[in-house]
Amino acid sequence: MAKKIDLQAIVSEHYAALYRFGLALAKNESEAGDLTQETFFILTKHQEQIRDPERIKPWLFTTLRREFLRKVRTHAAHPEVEFQPAEHEIPAIESSALRTIDGKTALAALETVEESYRSALELFYLGDLSYKEISATLGVPIGTVMSRLSRGKEQLRRALATALEGDPHKIIPLPESRSPEAR
Amino acid sequence: MTREQAKECLSALRASGADDADPTLQEALELARKDSELGSWLAQQREFDNILVEKFASISPPEGLKEIILETLEGTARPIQSWRMGWFALAATIVLAALLLGQKVDLFRGSSRLFRSFRTDALAMVAVKPGPKLDLETPSLETAEAFIAAHDAPRLDQFPQKLQAIDTAGCRVFLWRQHPASLTCFRLPSGNLLHVVVIRADAVGRADMPTGPYSQNGWHLMFQKKAGLLVMWASQAPMEELKQFIET
Repeated sequence: MAKKIDLQAIVSEHYAALYRFGLALAKNESEAGDLTQETFFILTKHQEQIRDPERIKPWLFTTLRREFLRKVRTHAAHPEVEFQPAEHEIPAIESSALRTIDGKTALAALETVEESYRSALELFYLGDLSYKEISATLGVPIGTVMSRLSRGKEQLRRALATALEGDPHKIIPLPESRSPEAR
Repeated sequence: MTREQAKECLSALRASGADDADPTLQEALELARKDSELGSWLAQQREFDNILVEKFASISPPEGLKEIILETLEGTARPIQSWRMGWFALAATIVLAALLLGQKVDLFRGSSRLFRSFRTDALAMVAVKPGPKLDLETPSLETAEAFIAAHDAPRLDQFPQKLQAIDTAGCRVFLWRQHPASLTCFRLPSGNLLHVVVIRADAVGRADMPTGPYSQNGWHLMFQKKAGLLVMWASQAPMEELKQFIET
């Protein structure tokens, strides 16, 4: 017989990550909240079927993603963003520069990554799912997940480099030797 | 295993270190220990991942989302959150009204859960007896509109002409799930109130609504989308009187 699960503890542990994942998918705060609620609502209906509590996390992410895809199929309201692959080398991004961006800029960069790679990255970064859990969630072999994570990160690095280059608010400090005080 | 193959495997390592003991990744990790170039690449990769995890984690869910989920799971209606004090005193009445109004035949089956939740909450707010709490009691529509505008809450640009000619009871501004909204109440000639609730349409998600007014449990209601706003009209006045005033 399946153990009764502690819904309150599960909501507390996972709702924030699920919301962020929903936000990455739906690109809309209201829909992200809705998807998160819907996911837990489905969990309550199917909790008897969940035998292994350790499977709850990937189950929640799988369910939210499935709900999102179901809505997309129904309403066709979320056009795919096509990624234009860059032909140049993967740019080096200084960690200090990367630290200047905010979460929404990072999310916007993630949205530009090609869809097949993006799904793996969203589960990796926003869901903190292991490659095995991502494999189960997306229904693709482990080797494919590794390859998608690797290529997806390359695309994300390019997108972040572009975001940093194009940020009008970015402050680039003068090297010490060229600052007015140093003259 | 080549360096490129190892990089692919190591891309699957989570920044938290949760996969460091994973047997499938040991060969690649071992190679990174021996190969300084690969080791340096892995260190950079981990730093990149760490920063991104931190950046994504800085995106906070809307305040109250967790409580809403828990209340929904417990089957409890959630009262509308208010910017004003005194609202909580009415919570019990509101919850009762919401429970009563939430049980009806669902004319909005295709709508999002969020929209249905808004409809229940908004109805609960206006159904309070003897009337909803108002932030400003005024017979002047102009004064009510100025008050709503001063609080940056959404409002209708223009009410139907016949409504503009009658007195208001007043208005209030409130937050529904962190989204500003307004309520304007009109005094109809029959003595009944007509409530107009306005919120940004994107705050309530997808809304498949009946077209025109409909009746539910002694209330006559109508939902409209106008210029990015969702407008709910609600009254217990006779339908004929209501139609007269809300038709443009």
